Amino acid sequence: MSISMWLFLAIGLGLVSLGYALFLYAWVNRQATGGEREQAIAGYIQQGARAYLAKLYKTLAVLVAVLGVAIALIFSLDMIRTVAERTLVAAANPLEGVWTALAFVLGAGCSGLAGYLGMSIAVRANLRAAVAAKLGLNPAFRVAFYAGAVLGLAMVGTAVIGISVIYLLTGDPEVVLGFSLGASAMALLAKAGGGIFTKTADIAADLVGKVEAGIPEDDPRNPAVIADNVGDNVGDVAGMGADIFDSYVASAVAAMILGVGVGKTAAASGGGDPRFYVVFPLVLCAVGMLASFIGIQFVRVGRNGKPGAALNNGTVITCVIFAVLATLLNVLGGFNTGVLIATLLGLVIAVLIGFCTDYFTNDERRPVQQVAAMSKSGSAITIITGLSYGLISILPSIIGIVGATLAAYYAAEAFGISGIYGIGIAAVGMLSITSVIVSADAYGPIVDNAKGIAEMSDMGHEVVERCDTLDSAGNTAKAITKGFAISAAALTVLALFAAYGEVLGAIGIPLNIDLQRPLVVAGVLLGATCPPVFSALLMLAVTKNAFLMIEEIRAQFRARPGILKGTELPDYARCVSIASAGALSSLILPAVIAVIVPLAVGLLLGTDALGGFLGGSIFTGVIFALFMSNAGGLWDNGKKYVEAGHHGGPGSEAHKAAVVGDTVGDPFKDTAGPSINTLITVMSLVSSLFAPVIAALTVSRFL
Amino acid sequence: MSIHLYASLVPEALIVSMLSPEEFGAYYAVGTMKKAHGQAMFVEVDPAFRSDRFRIDDAVRRCVPHANGEPKRSVYVSIYRVAEHLPIAALGPLYLTTHDGRVAELQKRTPPAEDNASLHLYQEICPVNPLVASTRGPVPFFRFMMDSSTTLFALPALYFADLKLGELAADPERGDGNELPYSNMDHLRQCLVDIRTKPISTKMVDRNHPVVFPYRTVRTGFYFGRGQDLAFYPMPSREDLLGKYYNWWRSAQM
Repeated sequence: MSISMWLFLAIGLGLVSLGYALFLYAWVNRQATGGEREQAIAGYIQQGARAYLAKLYKTLAVLVAVLGVAIALIFSLDMIRTVAERTLVAAANPLEGVWTALAFVLGAGCSGLAGYLGMSIAVRANLRAAVAAKLGLNPAFRVAFYAGAVLGLAMVGTAVIGISVIYLLTGDPEVVLGFSLGASAMALLAKAGGGIFTKTADIAADLVGKVEAGIPEDDPRNPAVIADNVGDNVGDVAGMGADIFDSYVASAVAAMILGVGVGKTAAASGGGDPRFYVVFPLVLCAVGMLASFIGIQFVRVGRNGKPGAALNNGTVITCVIFAVLATLLNVLGGFNTGVLIATLLGLVIAVLIGFCTDYFTNDERRPVQQVAAMSKSGSAITIITGLSYGLISILPSIIGIVGATLAAYYAAEAFGISGIYGIGIAAVGMLSITSVIVSADAYGPIVDNAKGIAEMSDMGHEVVERCDTLDSAGNTAKAITKGFAISAAALTVLALFAAYGEVLGAIGIPLNIDLQRPLVVAGVLLGATCPPVFSALLMLAVTKNAFLMIEEIRAQFRARPGILKGTELPDYARCVSIASAGALSSLILPAVIAVIVPLAVGLLLGTDALGGFLGGSIFTGVIFALFMSNAGGLWDNGKKYVEAGHHGGPGSEAHKAAVVGDTVGDPFKDTAGPSINTLITVMSLVSSLFAPVIAALTVSRFL
Repeated sequence: MSIHLYASLVPEALIVSMLSPEEFGAYYAVGTMKKAHGQAMFVEVDPAFRSDRFRIDDAVRRCVPHANGEPKRSVYVSIYRVAEHLPIAALGPLYLTTHDGRVAELQKRTPPAEDNASLHLYQEICPVNPLVASTRGPVPFFRFMMDSSTTLFALPALYFADLKLGELAADPERGDGNELPYSNMDHLRQCLVDIRTKPISTKMVDRNHPVVFPYRTVRTGFYFGRGQDLAFYPMPSREDLLGKYYNWWRSAQM
């Protein structure tokens, strides 16, 4: 099969994926919407989500336009140097600049489109899932899962179509890097912004509503309740969707760039079209899509009524189908066995890491139960215990990542393929089942909202209980997805790191990361500092905005005593507005860190220092991301364990301590932790994309 | 606008109001600046009740709407020693209000004749509020407490709640008290062991226990007695809590 045919196959399956997404969108939209009361409440959530998205996309459009123009100008100059002569030759190549800029804009656009589709159906599905819960567990589960699948399918479809079209038109994987940077820029701001929004609302609603006023969860008398429900969507649907979209695209693009060198080597020894290894990652993505189409059909709640088992079965079945299809493809196509092994290793490790994360955040396991038990001793001990288990929890994931890296490397090398390419393919393999993973992840906030709508519109205890059962499974799925996303991002940025070296090598600049060189050490330390500083900025944004919202809620209670009595409606829109404005205004500095700092390090200290910078940021970034996500999950589920009636139950001293732990953990697990993936991906992409420019401008000083 | 007479239990007070019980409960818990929010318990008293101890007629005369037409929320008749002068026959429904102002109405019933549990925990509400462990069921406990032949003092009235002990009721030493929110569980266990093993039927666990307690810890219900008369307000069944009282029960579990 020719390269073009493979690309057309990928595009075709991408279109099928999009089409399936739209089919499910229409199906979910046709489901019953219940009575006036629940429609009114769902309407508030829809309005809030639309208002936030409109502001976010306007902000991002300006940013994308500015960056797009900058990219077009910068990449219109083709920088060439020769190592021996250390000279710089610049040639005008406006076409490359335009293509890269267009790819950048397209990447941002595809990410935005997938996120918009996902959010749009999520805020429709929440109501429909609540209404379906009147009929039973399975009808509600189907609505929520299929709505989640809209995001999963739209995401992979747009990603594969975008990458394939750009490569088909330009034949240059470095232009495709622009697409990845666009997706990453969108992901960074969507994830960070969504995380700040959701935790601002969650913390304010909890501290004033629950703790001060004694109002239960999802009570319509809480002015922040709508913002809280909107936040579930912007953080966990749009934000997480953009995050995984970014990793999915970046992994494919990194492997494509690494494939250039592999292809040349293979062609030199009579191995066919050298572009095949560039296109192979897209072939894997296409196979993954096919496996997901089939796997999604198997996700249903059986007679035992366990939604968690249904979601896990879907993941496992999709993995098995993908493994079978990838093996068949490899055998029938006569591809390199090392590449197949790397693919399957990535997949297996991803699932294992996901389940390891579940161990540390599941309330049926020791770590969560220990945190809950320790809460009887007070807030300080609760926090120390959660921190400790959070730190321990990084170990299995790191071992998994190390294992996948080494195994993929040596497996590829054993079969005559570049080991680095094997790592890149392992990352693609890990992300191949993204569609079903994201479907399960997006299901979570939908059923969370459904429970809220059921409570707020007095749908009755049975309906609420069913939504609660679905929500518990959703929380587990979210935790697994976080572990999966971080690990996939880790392997992706390792591949991007290698791609950075490849890009430099292609223009004759050797990458020399020798830790005995002070410039490299400086780069490593500066890079290592970025993830914690970035996290701090996001969490400070949460506390600052939460403070504003807390004051707003208190002011509403004071000025309008009818709110608590239930005779007046609170001003929900005001809280949504505070969360939106706060989230968007807080994004500027983190975005600067992600884009400007790597450029500054490269321009001031050189390409080797920038390599060290990337390494430092990857190493601390992965550790911080795992730690923060898992520790936050531990505290959250520890609180829920106490609320379920253990150690004194709600209102006890243990519960008060557990609430403190949960409040500390909220910005850890939903704001800072998950955003670090995107930070390190953006920094890696910026470095790779601008590597030739940086090299050309620093050649006389450092080489 | 009709006039209502309420006996608040925490703090003990007799109040005339133009608000209905649900409105009064919400007002009392969250609607007044004098008490930003908090749990409240009050009984509706027969509006025809009169006593030389209380200037109820004067209070009724003062209970008129505000200039803007809003109802008069409260006119205090007495702020202490109310229970001892209220006949049980004059008591109407009991209203339990949560921290956030949800109100549940409990009807007065005849106390059950027997209670099979071997160990009990009672939260006295007024006139004093100790936490007491006892081997006596609620009715025998009331009779015992009102019997001045064994003590130097006599209680004129006693309002108390019968609280859950979970597994501690059967096995105070090894029973799982995991879900019980009481402070100083070790001392509670010791008190239960003492009343089981020593020749005493009651033991004070906490002399001045906070009267604000989670409603979910109430076992059979509330007992309000004066002299020889005893009224019983049973807690709703689980089905009713999840059905009729769903919103109240959610708030009660906070």
